[in-house]
Amino acid sequence: MKAILFVSLLLSSLNFGHAKQPLVIGSKNFSESIIIAQMLAILLEERFDVPVIRKFGLGGTKIAFDALVNDAIHVYPDYTGTGYSMILKMSGEKAPTKVHQVVSQEFKQRWGISWSHSLGFDNTYALVVRSDDERFKGIHKISQLSGKVSSFIYAGAYEFMERKDGHDGFSKTYSLDFAPKNVIAMGAGLMYSAIRDEEVDMIVAYSTDGRIQAYDLKKLEDDLNYFPPYQASILAKEKTLAQFPKFKEAIGLLEGLISEEEMIQMNDKVDRLKQESFTVARNFLINKRLLLGKINTAKAEIGFINFIKLKKDYLFKIITEHLILTFSALALAILISLPVGIGLTRYQHLAKFVFPIVNTIQTIPSLALLGFLIPFMGIGFTPALVALFLYSLLPLIRNTYTGIQGVDRTYIEVSKGIGLTNFQILIHVEIPMAMPVILAGLRTAVVIVIGTATLAALIGAGGLGDPIFRGVSTVNSNLILLGAIPAALLAIIADKIIGISERFLVSKGIRPK
Amino acid sequence: MIEVKDLTKFFSQNSIKAVDKISFELQKGEVGCLIGTSGCGKTTTLKMINRLIEPSAGEIWVGGLSHLGNDPILWRRKIGYVVQKAGLLPHLTIKQNISLLSKILGRSKNVIEDRVRELMQVINMPYEQYAPCYPVELSGGQQQRVGIARALMEDPSVLLMDEPFGALDPITSNNLHDEFMRLNQKLHKTILIVTHDLSEAFKLGDKIILMDQGTIIQAGTKNDFLKNPASQFVEDFIKGSVH
Repeated sequence: MKAILFVSLLLSSLNFGHAKQPLVIGSKNFSESIIIAQMLAILLEERFDVPVIRKFGLGGTKIAFDALVNDAIHVYPDYTGTGYSMILKMSGEKAPTKVHQVVSQEFKQRWGISWSHSLGFDNTYALVVRSDDERFKGIHKISQLSGKVSSFIYAGAYEFMERKDGHDGFSKTYSLDFAPKNVIAMGAGLMYSAIRDEEVDMIVAYSTDGRIQAYDLKKLEDDLNYFPPYQASILAKEKTLAQFPKFKEAIGLLEGLISEEEMIQMNDKVDRLKQESFTVARNFLINKRLLLGKINTAKAEIGFINFIKLKKDYLFKIITEHLILTFSALALAILISLPVGIGLTRYQHLAKFVFPIVNTIQTIPSLALLGFLIPFMGIGFTPALVALFLYSLLPLIRNTYTGIQGVDRTYIEVSKGIGLTNFQILIHVEIPMAMPVILAGLRTAVVIVIGTATLAALIGAGGLGDPIFRGVSTVNSNLILLGAIPAALLAIIADKIIGISERFLVSKGIRPK
Repeated sequence: MIEVKDLTKFFSQNSIKAVDKISFELQKGEVGCLIGTSGCGKTTTLKMINRLIEPSAGEIWVGGLSHLGNDPILWRRKIGYVVQKAGLLPHLTIKQNISLLSKILGRSKNVIEDRVRELMQVINMPYEQYAPCYPVELSGGQQQRVGIARALMEDPSVLLMDEPFGALDPITSNNLHDEFMRLNQKLHKTILIVTHDLSEAFKLGDKIILMDQGTIIQAGTKNDFLKNPASQFVEDFIKGSVH
């Protein structure tokens, strides 16, 4: 059973556009991207009867774009400005049609990727302050702030702080003299409550975020036209579009469909009013008469217990994904680490080469490692499995090695003296005596793997991180808890299981009292 | 039963020889004691006989078989081996320690059970009480008896003992000496004991072999040593040990 699930997950993660296979729809990890992706998914499922797989919440432009290039997903929504400045690393052009033309041409040429027409709205960056903040009275244009912001605390999303069209160019263009210690990068979903609660003074917001209105924030005009246009659009490979005419048709239905005001309202429903992105997207399509059906007016604000009941199928799915991922990674790591750790005690000179390698792997930040694997393995289960496997290598190999090295030589000599072969000594003496140390390594590996496995959601591998990251980006504590509580329980249960297995695997004679 | 001829060991080409062309022989049922100061080569000699150290030159016969051309693993299995502080494996119970080799050799459960019971009676440690214990729960003297039982498990005709009573207090080791002599009157094993304690050697050994700097200085009975010490060194050694 497990093997079948494993294989099917593996296949779905390597999925590639054959006629009978479902379309894989991706999105980045903020509400607007998810809502648009939901619209496309719902249209395909309900109007065109095409099966889809949702790989929502991919951790950033780089991951989503790489996934599309590598055919790990077939489609995801993005913005012309993002493609222009962040992916193509170009700048200078400000006219919306011109930018759309450049990205269409370049993406087609370089990667065979097509940009749809604009969905109808722009989601650009906007410098935002509180309307009632006395210090910004009379200030409507960003250029009015030149050289006057050194005392203000300023926050932006991680991606904005890094990208070419982001913080550096922006502050230079307007001569904004932020003090480095006052510049904070945070999760995009968290900036809005941070400014509302006066923890920061100004944020670089997304212009279509519903919370700008809801929290009574004021957009300052980009009067020097620093930001390129960010027309919302849908990206897909040309070959996929050619292969699935219905797919092309579904995308066509979304073109020009959504006004800025409508997008702001939908974002607000998800981010602030905690409605389901699925419901919001579906209601919108019904309103636009693209789907037949009833508007779902179910109340969104519900208690956590009811929320779990409502989400139990989803909860079961993410727990299963998480378990399969962690178990496969650990099983693989144990299978490799024990022989390697033992082998190193036999060929000591190799330890000098092996340990620096596994040590170095351990120091790579987990998201960087996941991102690094995408070009080779795409997104989903496989790269997540490989990353978790690599992370659990060090504690397992190191503890197997030191555990066996630590066995007193006299016991080995005595065992040899009474007539045991080297292999029998390994099995009957060295491994049992090293077992407490090996199990300590396993404990470390389990904690690392269960914790890191939540990050797998950012590369479309699902698991308990999926609701956590969606919850963080939409400030939805029900969603966060839905992932965090099982993840914590899982770590505790796994630790208990190892504790119990110690009673069977470690002899009473060497167990500390 | 045990014979060594021109047995030699050097650990590298240029170093002095740890054991230099020694020869001696023990008859069946004889107890020999290899004695000497630290570094004299006695332990190296014992380990060569058990093939834990391969000789550089010379030949060893045990029970009529030469070490040349015989597999060291099978060789060791025919010899009972006892070390200082017993060397019991801490993760195994007393019963498991005594029967480890038999289990590996595939003896049946019943055979093992009966033999362990028999041996634990011989070493005066009731099976019911001690078989499920772990080494850490036993005294040094008890551990050493278990070490002897382990060596006897496969009923070897030859026992090699490396300072078996060395780490024990004088009263315990004295008791064990007596027990050991009583035991061997029944068992008639050929035994080679390494010790640095001359009074122990005089008490236990039919034959005493005194080594110094890798060679045998004198070999003989207690009487030979007391009446005809071969050299000033032997005299000094006896005097030193008596004090």
